Amino acid sequence: MAKTIKWEKDFDRVLTLARAENKMVLLDFFNPL
Amino acid sequence: MGAVTYPNEKVVELIEKDMVPIQVLYDSQPLASKFNVQWTPTVITLDKEGKEHNRTVGFLAPEEFIPSLMLGVAKCHFDREKFSKAIEMLEEVLKDYPKSDSAPEALYLRGVALYKSTHKADPLKEAYKRLLAEYPSSEWTKRAQPYKLL
Repeated sequence: MAKTIKWEKDFDRVLTLARAENKMVLLDFFNPL
Repeated sequence: MGAVTYPNEKVVELIEKDMVPIQVLYDSQPLASKFNVQWTPTVITLDKEGKEHNRTVGFLAPEEFIPSLMLGVAKCHFDREKFSKAIEMLEEVLKDYPKSDSAPEALYLRGVALYKSTHKADPLKEAYKRLLAEYPSSEWTKRAQPYKLL
């Protein structure tokens, strides 16, 4: 089964994860239409 | 992006390795206002403190999106004065995606990062020479033009 991106939804949680894992953040604004 | 670029295996691998991804609706507040989002897709690279270092607006296919993301990561390192990490990532862009739209900027930024880490002008002159030879019509070649006088 192909891997997929595990998108987060909560910005504060993302910053916490990025600090803990020493990673950058990819913030994607999308339009579902 | 959702149909073509994000399912791409190499895109998934790169994001998993270097980034924490978050996806929100274009009008999601307070983020849309905080980052002044006017159009979609808008993809922003932030550091772990939430500071913006790079953004792209509009669709990018995987072969352009991947080097664009790598450039964003390199800019995060560069802006935080982690020049060796920035140079490493920029050289990956140049090696793996030399024909991408991100490559000329990567070559320019590599020259600047080498200059800032060595305080020698040679990397800037070399960046201009390579830009002129490899990407003669790029805006980054024009921006590097003064370096030929160093």
